[in-house]
Amino acid sequence: MTAPAATTPSSAGFEHEALFYRDDETFLAGLLPYVREGLARGEDVLVAEPADRAAVLRDGLGADAAAVRWLDMGVVGANPARIIGLWATALDAASAAGRRLRGVGEPAWPGRHEAEFVECRLHELLLNTAFDGGAPWRLLCPYDQARLPRAVRTGALQSHPVVSTPEHRRPSTAFHREAAAAAFDTPLHQPADGVLRGSYGPDDVQATRRTVASFARSAGLTTEQGQVLELAASELVANSLRHGGGHGTVSLWATTDAAVVEFRDGGRIADPLVGRLALPPDAPGGRGLYAVNQLCDLVQVRSSTEGTTVRITTWR
Amino acid sequence: MRGHGSVRELPEAAAADHLCWVHDDDVAFGAAVRAFLAGGLDRGERLLCVGERAISALDGGEGPLGDVDGLRAGGVLETMTIAEAYAATGAFAVDRQRAFYEAATRRARADGYHGLRVVAEVTELAADPGNVAELVRWEHAADEFIASGSGMSAMCAYRSDLPADTLGGALAMHPTTHAPDHLSPWRLFLDEHGLALAGSVDTFTADRLAALLAGTPTGARAVLDLGDLEFVDVAGCRALAGWAASLRARGVPLEIRGASRLTQRVWQVLGLVELAPVTFTGARG
Repeated sequence: MTAPAATTPSSAGFEHEALFYRDDETFLAGLLPYVREGLARGEDVLVAEPADRAAVLRDGLGADAAAVRWLDMGVVGANPARIIGLWATALDAASAAGRRLRGVGEPAWPGRHEAEFVECRLHELLLNTAFDGGAPWRLLCPYDQARLPRAVRTGALQSHPVVSTPEHRRPSTAFHREAAAAAFDTPLHQPADGVLRGSYGPDDVQATRRTVASFARSAGLTTEQGQVLELAASELVANSLRHGGGHGTVSLWATTDAAVVEFRDGGRIADPLVGRLALPPDAPGGRGLYAVNQLCDLVQVRSSTEGTTVRITTWR
Repeated sequence: MRGHGSVRELPEAAAADHLCWVHDDDVAFGAAVRAFLAGGLDRGERLLCVGERAISALDGGEGPLGDVDGLRAGGVLETMTIAEAYAATGAFAVDRQRAFYEAATRRARADGYHGLRVVAEVTELAADPGNVAELVRWEHAADEFIASGSGMSAMCAYRSDLPADTLGGALAMHPTTHAPDHLSPWRLFLDEHGLALAGSVDTFTADRLAALLAGTPTGARAVLDLGDLEFVDVAGCRALAGWAASLRARGVPLEIRGASRLTQRVWQVLGLVELAPVTFTGARG
């Protein structure tokens, strides 16, 4: 069987393709030829799959699995805003070694929280923003057609220029390039009630930190989760003071499975990739939002002419 | 670790006291000066009072210090105006200050005292912008001398109407501070193993930390204790890593003790280990 994904000659630029599978068989039918073609061409093949999917693919690859670099998407993609940085690092390393990069990335696995799916969609859109026009490489993103909610499947059609099943490969008619900026502009859904709100100004960095730390304790988070939120509060309040008009508001609420802290200010972030890419350790510039992305369970950033919102969700 | 913290009241006198006292109320300041010196009297220390404002605080009538003129006549208490101090040490410089206080402490011990307890009201010095950097370096050198078991202890007093940056720099170099919290939310001082950093460091004071660390003398190896650090943000971690890198350039390895697990995670996610290898020991949760 020849998989459509593997039969395409590689062209210049970033090729971002969604693979819809129904079961292990169609998952392997789509991925095995793609991975093996990459290995045969001497490309850097990097697979970022959740553990159960990775196990299926490893078995299918047999001895070839050893030549693949594996990342546990359940860990590195827990907050989808961390993933682009990983691909950027892998692309830099491959380019430096004079090789092509070929990736498999499945951020939207069945069973994720609703808010995580929302961020997976933004992440998939922003991959195009991050890599279009840069060095050529390929990324194939498997989607479980049988078990994922319809909105997630529809989202994949919008974020990938090419979609395939083991039988067909075609351009996605639903794809459009402006969707990334539009998604970054769109305000997050607000909870109806049970929200504590406060405002902060230049003298309130410590006080806001302490408020957030105390909320974390009352929401039953662990000590370290509370410390992470306290750090995030310090970084995000500082951003509001320096770049967001000098003041902002913090909102705190709990859901059945999470504690949520949200910071808003009147500033506008022009670059939707903010906080997603690692900077060299000795380069100047802020690292606050990048660190928050690395340390927190789920971070959602939205910015428009109305202002900037950063929402941090910590799973309980 | 030495006693340290931001205090409202004067703590009980102890060896190696090094307090920074920011004051705006002459009556309260006078009482603090007399109580600080009286604590030294109880400990069998010689007393030295430098600066007009500190000297005038001595004349506060009855109190724990007792007969000031008698103390003076008996050689227990010495006073010096800033002008007299200048005459004794020459232009303000760390080496001269250190030589002066080392000699005075040695003399006190040779005369049978347990040590030398100093109150120095240095607002006049600090008000000259040309002195500020040297003054902060001196405070750090003084802290090292005090922490070394020399027998010296000191209260360094500054009026609250000095620029916030001047006060912040001076306060940060003392284990114990009496000042509004926002002026210096953290303190960098010497303890028995090396440097200790306590309090909260964030992006608004991280540059000051970087500057003070850069001026910190170290031996063949450096130790920084973060065991009592309540909070440090990303900019604070980067200030520490920048210091580690400059130490490494001089061939000095850095050991960081008592860092929280979160601080170590920040170190890892920012790739700070690439700047300079740091040994983390005695981590806490």
